[in-house]
Amino acid sequence: MEHVLSPLECLLPTGDLKYCLLILNQPLDRRPLHHLWSKALLRACADGGSNHLYDITEGQRESFLPEYISGDFDSIRPEVKEYYQVKGCELVETPDQNDTDFTKCLHVLQKKIVDKDLQSGKHQLHVDTGLEGEWCGLVPVGQSCKQVTTTGLKWNLTKDVLMFGTLVSTSNTYDGSGVVTVETDHPLLWTMAIKKEPRE
Amino acid sequence: MQKLIMEHILSPLECLLPTGNLKYCLLILNQPLDRSQFHHLWSKALLKACADGGSNRLYDITEGQRESFLPEYISGDFDSIRPEVKEYYKVKGCELVSTPDQNYTDFTKCLQVLQKKIVEKDLQVDMIVTLGGLAGRFDQIMASVETLFHATSITPVPIIIIQADSLICLLQQGKHKLHVDTGLEGNWCGLVPVGHPCKHVTTTGLKWNLTNDVLMFGTLVSTSNTYDGSGVVTVETDHPLIWTMGIKNEPRE
Repeated sequence: MEHVLSPLECLLPTGDLKYCLLILNQPLDRRPLHHLWSKALLRACADGGSNHLYDITEGQRESFLPEYISGDFDSIRPEVKEYYQVKGCELVETPDQNDTDFTKCLHVLQKKIVDKDLQSGKHQLHVDTGLEGEWCGLVPVGQSCKQVTTTGLKWNLTKDVLMFGTLVSTSNTYDGSGVVTVETDHPLLWTMAIKKEPRE
Repeated sequence: MQKLIMEHILSPLECLLPTGNLKYCLLILNQPLDRSQFHHLWSKALLKACADGGSNRLYDITEGQRESFLPEYISGDFDSIRPEVKEYYKVKGCELVSTPDQNYTDFTKCLQVLQKKIVEKDLQVDMIVTLGGLAGRFDQIMASVETLFHATSITPVPIIIIQADSLICLLQQGKHKLHVDTGLEGNWCGLVPVGHPCKHVTTTGLKWNLTNDVLMFGTLVSTSNTYDGSGVVTVETDHPLIWTMGIKNEPRE
């Protein structure tokens, strides 16, 4: 079974990708946020992510209300929590300290939508949106991958080992075909650059 | 017959202390420099070097007093160093070491050059301090971690990487004692099993300790941990583990 993915499709101006949006506690880029928000099926914040949403939507906050905010609420500012509570956003308290707010936010999301399984195996990445930056990489975080095969990269792998201490694919790039395939025996982190746009 | 268990002892933030006589070399990578960290680390380093674009950062942050901040060498494939920067340091007598091999990063190759010089100059070095490498492009952050793995076959000297409020170092399989009582420790720390699951990890000195526990991606990664106040953290691990910690915020320039 092959998993097909177009990582930057969600950033395209047109298209009907069905996605949910999670906002974490880091600075937000105004334009991508507005774009991603407008077409998301469901939007949520993990704890302090709501502070960033609150700040960046000043003047039009009512048009940017998340479905829910989850977390242990040690980062959300009191006035932010109050605001979204009054506006009817669901506040889901997840105090468990064994998992991060991000992880717990995903659990909540899972309850609200149909789950999609990602596993080791064959993957097809469409990298021809025009928004791809110049670098990409494959990182065997957590476990060695004994047999990795790729196509579509400048430096491809053929049943090669990817593991920290031996080889990690960084500063790789594309061969121009617009499609990258990856076959792996263990989970692998795919990372890629997004083309720079004039940022607000 | 007694079994000799070697314990590695490290005081990660010692290089940032105002006093002290830690003997260390300084490597500068291609990331924004924190002014006060930079000045402090430069002043007491035995040997200073830049990896490619790190020299741009050095050049920019020392404007007005560049002559007092000349690195021993700049190494790399030179695809990032600006022409006027390369020219300046060349004219000032800094060694330019071209390392074009594309199978390794500038950081890894800079370490190789450093080790050659440490041996040539017969230097007694306690630590290699690297500035940068922990922010910016994600693939290059991962490459920094990969360099720490390769470092064990390049040099016997421990290496730490510092950028802004974060520090990382790689703890090899075995026992480690970390002194975390310099007063510069921030309020978070973590243990990250990058590359291989760790089946047996035991710690002391943390708020959330481990006792012969598993650390592996998908099961448990120790993040947002903190200290128990004793000033010492011990870690015993069966596979390499990244130690990461916060550095106390100082008023930044």
